[in-house]
Amino acid sequence: MKYKVENISFATLALILAIIPLLLELNLLAGGSTVIFIGKCMSYAIVAIGIDLIWGYTGILSLGHGLYFGLGAYGMAMYLKLVSTGGQITDFMHIGGLEELPFIWTLFKYLPNTLFFMIAIPALVAFLVGYVIFKNRVKGVYFSIISQALTWAVYSIFISLSPYTNGNVGITGIKSLFGSVKGDANRANMYLLFYVTLGILILTYVIAKFLTQRKFGKILIAIRDGENRTYFSGYNVCLYKTFIYVLSAIITAFAGAIFVNFNGSITPSEMTIEFSIMMVIWVAVGGRGTIIGAVLGAFIINIGQYNLSSGIFVEIWQYIIGAIFTLTILFFKGGLVGLISEQSPILIKKFQQKQEQKQEQEQKQEHKQTKQKSEQIIITKPKEV
Amino acid sequence: MNKIFSAIAILSLTLMTGCSGSDEADTVKVGLLHSLTGSMAISEKSVRDAEVLAIEEINATGGILGQQIEYIEEDGASDPSTFATKAEKLIDSENVATVFGCWTSSSRKAVKSIFEDYGALLWYPVQYEGMEASENIIYTGAAPNQQIIPAIEYLLDQGYEDFFLLGSDYVFPRTANMIIEAQLSDAGLDIVGAEYADMDQTDFSAIISKIELADPDVIINTLNGTGNVSFFKQMSERNYTADDYMTMSFSIAEEEVATIGPQILTDHLVSWNYYQTTDSIENENFVNSYKSMFGEDRVTSDPAEAAYCAVYLWKAAVEKAGSFEVEDVLNAIASSDISFNAPEGLVTINKDNQHLAKPVRIGQIREDGLIYEVFSTSAPVDPDPYLNNYDWAKDIQSFQ
Repeated sequence: MKYKVENISFATLALILAIIPLLLELNLLAGGSTVIFIGKCMSYAIVAIGIDLIWGYTGILSLGHGLYFGLGAYGMAMYLKLVSTGGQITDFMHIGGLEELPFIWTLFKYLPNTLFFMIAIPALVAFLVGYVIFKNRVKGVYFSIISQALTWAVYSIFISLSPYTNGNVGITGIKSLFGSVKGDANRANMYLLFYVTLGILILTYVIAKFLTQRKFGKILIAIRDGENRTYFSGYNVCLYKTFIYVLSAIITAFAGAIFVNFNGSITPSEMTIEFSIMMVIWVAVGGRGTIIGAVLGAFIINIGQYNLSSGIFVEIWQYIIGAIFTLTILFFKGGLVGLISEQSPILIKKFQQKQEQKQEQEQKQEHKQTKQKSEQIIITKPKEV
Repeated sequence: MNKIFSAIAILSLTLMTGCSGSDEADTVKVGLLHSLTGSMAISEKSVRDAEVLAIEEINATGGILGQQIEYIEEDGASDPSTFATKAEKLIDSENVATVFGCWTSSSRKAVKSIFEDYGALLWYPVQYEGMEASENIIYTGAAPNQQIIPAIEYLLDQGYEDFFLLGSDYVFPRTANMIIEAQLSDAGLDIVGAEYADMDQTDFSAIISKIELADPDVIINTLNGTGNVSFFKQMSERNYTADDYMTMSFSIAEEEVATIGPQILTDHLVSWNYYQTTDSIENENFVNSYKSMFGEDRVTSDPAEAAYCAVYLWKAAVEKAGSFEVEDVLNAIASSDISFNAPEGLVTINKDNQHLAKPVRIGQIREDGLIYEVFSTSAPVDPDPYLNNYDWAKDIQSFQ
């Protein structure tokens, strides 16, 4: 029953997303930029699913997933940049004193290689980090700190290696895999990119659901709720944790690659600790351990930020978002989804009770009215006569 | 519980819809895109305020082509990707006539291709490293030949020989130092050292030791943001003044002097195109209205003045074109001299590279926290973002 509701909610969301381009064609949206923005939100939703798998289900709190988002994004950006320069070296490499394309860039010269390395590099990093940490049974807050430190280190490296990465300016001036997506003339490209992304979001959701509804998911939850017990029950906890962590990293890297296509640039600010914590907040607000909660959280927080950080709210929007986080953490531990699933049965009950009461009252009133009427009739009758 | 629930419902409703502006026939919409939150908010606020001042002034005197200007603010949140998202929103969803915005080079680079793809127009108000001339951006701050090169020339004239380069680790200091090294080697000089600090570095003891070892007579300082505060405080803790190590800074304006402390910075040199003390009637009016609108304790600075110019130059270009359409405005800029009697003096948009011809001023910081001119060019200097007019810059140009 619970799974059914979640899947139906996700299907509804996917349907709404699918008709967004249609709304644009009917001039019901402000412009194509809205569709591009929703596209970015979908990439964030994919990240949120990745976070939910490790945090919501397995209890691994990573505060450094920006690292994998960044690795995937940079991989895709390097390929797209080489497409725009025709495989030649870029201006920032010139300024950095490089004469020819560095080796690391040559890996991203062709699309199949790019897709491979874009996933393989984050996966390898995640495997090495995850395996070593989980093997040594480091957990809880220590893991969070390590994940942060690692992200910060890579962030610093990306900034200091400016001949290779263009430092804090990042890789800019790139088009999507399907060509430019900006402007009315390129709407076909934009829709193609949008639906491919929607497809990947749905696929990610299905994979996540497939894994978590099975015995595998039960073991993940067991690890979350009692790691030692799971360990002593004979399960190889380290292997399970490493697997789900690597999968989460791959999902996040994929999302980063999609984000670049919509954004047209990538900077190290997408691999900061700040952004990594943001990702966790999406899941926390939406409700962890449900997948659909993570997806909804990513959409709601980002759409909220998009609309609030302008106009009259421009200087106070961060307080509003902050207040929402605080309220969620204090009062609704299950996030939005928890709130709805807790409240809706109560509400439904209340509604039913009210209806019953109403019916009772109506019945009573009817009784009274008929009584009164009959009385009136009785009273008035003699007058007529 | 029910109340909380409905409160959340209402909140989320406002979240999703946001607020929509009114569409009136006699207004023209422009976008202001700056960081109002995050680490760049302190700097960008002054630029945003100057733009608002110019817009209000223009509105009070009848607007442009009979239309009042309505500005829509978006927060870039000190994050280049947010800048990109918001630029797209302003151009495509809000349909603004033009956008005034950005400060950091990374935010400008992130939005550059968006303005080009949509055929929109951005006014960028901050001095920068040059090597760029997008057709969809008007650069109202200084190009390197209007700030860096004259400053080095001034120092050479003053007899300085041992140059030490100190900067934050990002594109502006790196490019600036590349230019300076080429310029110095043309004058037969070598730098005595170069150091880059992290953007948020607070401990400068290692760098100061290196400076002591290299023993320069002038430090070319391209540190940005909080790095300046830490560096100058730690220099003054060691009792170093401008007599021991003179510095020439490119990112310290009146706002930063107030933050760092005027006593610490006394007698040090800076290079800009405008100071609050610049002597002109236009500047007197500008400073007075800026202070009366935003508070007596506020100071005007070069970037704020350049942002103020941007709005008036856009007005001049629109009036020349007789239209708000970007294409017409760009045509007007390309075909005629669009100029404005700015607080810094007469500025004119260059037809080819869309930078401004503007005067250059070397200034010295005094105890009162203001900067006073010690040298200025007699006439506006033409912009040369790619340094085409300098033979010694050949190597740098070939990078483009």
